[in-house]
Amino acid sequence: MKPQSMGQAVLIALALIYLASLYFMSSPVWMGFTINALIVAVVALAWNITGGFGGMASFGHAAMYGTGAYASAILQVQYGINAWIAFGAGIVAGAAMGAFIGALAFRYGLKGSYFALVTLAFAEVLRICASSFAITGGGSGLQLRLEPGLSTLQFNDRAVVYTILLVIVALVMALTAWLKYSRFGAYLIAVRENEDAARALGIDTYRIKVKAMAISGAFAGLAGVLYLQVWLFIDSAVVYGSAVSIEALIGPIIGGAGTVWGPLIGTLGLHLLGEGAKHLLHNAPGLNFVLYAVVLICALRFLPQGLMGLAARIGTFRKKENDNA
Amino acid sequence: MTFTLNRRGLLKATGAAALVSGLSMPSILRAQAQTVKIGVLEPLTGNLAYNGTQCAAGAKFAADAINAAGGIKSMGGAQIELVVVDAQSRPEIAASAVDTLAEAGVVAFTGASASALGLASSQAAAKYDLAQVFSIGTAETIVERGLPNVFRFTPGVNKCTSVALENLKQLNAAAGNPVKTAAIVHEDGPFGSNMAKIMAEQLPQQGIEVVETISHPTPHRDFNNIALRVKASGANILIPSNYLNEYTLMARALRQQRAELMAIYSILGGAASNIKFVRENNDVAQYVMDCNHWYDPNKPESQALAASVAEAGLDLTYDVMVSYATIQVIADALERGASTDRKAMIETLAASTFDGSIMPYGPTKFVNGDNVNSQPVNTQIRGDKIELVFPEEYATAEPVFPVPQEG
Repeated sequence: MKPQSMGQAVLIALALIYLASLYFMSSPVWMGFTINALIVAVVALAWNITGGFGGMASFGHAAMYGTGAYASAILQVQYGINAWIAFGAGIVAGAAMGAFIGALAFRYGLKGSYFALVTLAFAEVLRICASSFAITGGGSGLQLRLEPGLSTLQFNDRAVVYTILLVIVALVMALTAWLKYSRFGAYLIAVRENEDAARALGIDTYRIKVKAMAISGAFAGLAGVLYLQVWLFIDSAVVYGSAVSIEALIGPIIGGAGTVWGPLIGTLGLHLLGEGAKHLLHNAPGLNFVLYAVVLICALRFLPQGLMGLAARIGTFRKKENDNA
Repeated sequence: MTFTLNRRGLLKATGAAALVSGLSMPSILRAQAQTVKIGVLEPLTGNLAYNGTQCAAGAKFAADAINAAGGIKSMGGAQIELVVVDAQSRPEIAASAVDTLAEAGVVAFTGASASALGLASSQAAAKYDLAQVFSIGTAETIVERGLPNVFRFTPGVNKCTSVALENLKQLNAAAGNPVKTAAIVHEDGPFGSNMAKIMAEQLPQQGIEVVETISHPTPHRDFNNIALRVKASGANILIPSNYLNEYTLMARALRQQRAELMAIYSILGGAASNIKFVRENNDVAQYVMDCNHWYDPNKPESQALAASVAEAGLDLTYDVMVSYATIQVIADALERGASTDRKAMIETLAASTFDGSIMPYGPTKFVNGDNVNSQPVNTQIRGDKIELVFPEEYATAEPVFPVPQEG
């Protein structure tokens, strides 16, 4: 998790300075916007487990994200279950969905674009199901009652919500770092680099990949539950829509897939760019997306290893080239 | 006499000018009328951009008209200043945008074209004691949450459906009950699915059997199979619930496949009350009927709005109308309350009995945030116009039902 170069240290310091500075800004606008970015960062960190470390690029993390959000919402709205229990259940549901998709896809040896398409199909099927059944609120979605309090996990004070999200993001990143340097992480990276070789060395690749999907699903489910608790409303398009899946993968790709800090830096950077462009071009709604897209294309073209990869080349502390932060 | 200006001199001159202009500014400001900020939270980008942009235009027309008429008189002619923010067709962005509105100091805001956006924004606004007057938000959950800052000026889906079915019953009875069967074509999202479900439950109670129900995703482009299925079902009427583009393509496919229907009868139809559909697909649009939000075309303010919209080269859609009307409602509350205090605004809106809007409603009466005196009306496309055909007191034309068959 430590930076390997001066460039990475500066990038991480900038992100931390920005996150800390929000406590001293009187504007709720930037804090509200960053709350959104942090929720996306959690799902980006989830994608990073499978896509970054495992080389299994999913286009359907919305399936796990939405399942977590819906599981928590159904328990609270339809069955009156306490928000804390529902919070945990959402994470478990996300993990179960991840494991289910992984078990099915990897059992039949799906890889690369086939795996990506299967995950996308799962998310779409779940979206249609969620908009069709009464238990998920049908087309109207589900809404939590506005009842601020610790027992309902709803907080009026934006600073409290922000602090909780910061702690959760830090925990997810710490878990990611621990996973990366654990035996499991080494197996997962081995699967990414050469699955046949990993299998020849005795690694149960199927088990490792399903496990990675379950862990990733748990993080994505957590992000879905966070979305629900912050905005108190979900419907099928919001949590199972393709926008979620795209946001999940774009942050790590820009920030640096397979690194601990990359997903957070990429997500924050992209959101800041979008928000900054919106403020600069406030009289022309939509133009900010054009600017956003241009920067995105440039980043994809010129930064194949993301921002963390670029930063790693500036003022290297050590000579281990493959070990990014 | 020569006059030279060096760098130091230029700096001095600039500083002096800034000082003079700064000192004189307060007197200029004192001379100007006070402004009152009203928020407009609409999806200006994303898949609801058309509706959101139309709504934002409607709000601007209303603000311009009120300002031109002397502003808020009880506040010394205060001028309305709109703060327009983009919800990007995403609920979490709509909720975040409320922070921007609150920081800008708006007294209330209107929005947000779709129920999902409005649900999120009004919940966020409740934390600021900021009133949201819904332009469009048909989901009943909007007014079932007990939020004191929610004011839905236009009718919800339950009222729209019940009025539409009652009007259909009357139309059918007046024609000798020729309609016995119906087909439902709906998009598979929140709006279409809910509407289809209500129709399937309630049409049989009117003696109309639902012989075919077809769902499709949004976007969807090839409606030939759907048109053929509708034709094969032998349904007398078609009840569609889908958005502008799909509605348009569906109507064209039905014409191409020569589906013989007694009527296309929409409820909150995506294109049926849209002049763009009438203009661009005039032949297939003929006699399409809709139960939807619409203004009272006989009021002078409505006619002035229609003229302004035409002058601006925009489409006159119900989005423009309802957004215009919600600004009128907020302006009336400002006029009566003479205060920019947010809590006072909520109280004033809750007690509103405003009857001067462009909509064909009775005096505003908010019960749990729902305007019980709102109502949808039936429109029918005739020639190049959208005529109001129900209720009679506002009608500009007689309804044609069933439609005359070709050939």
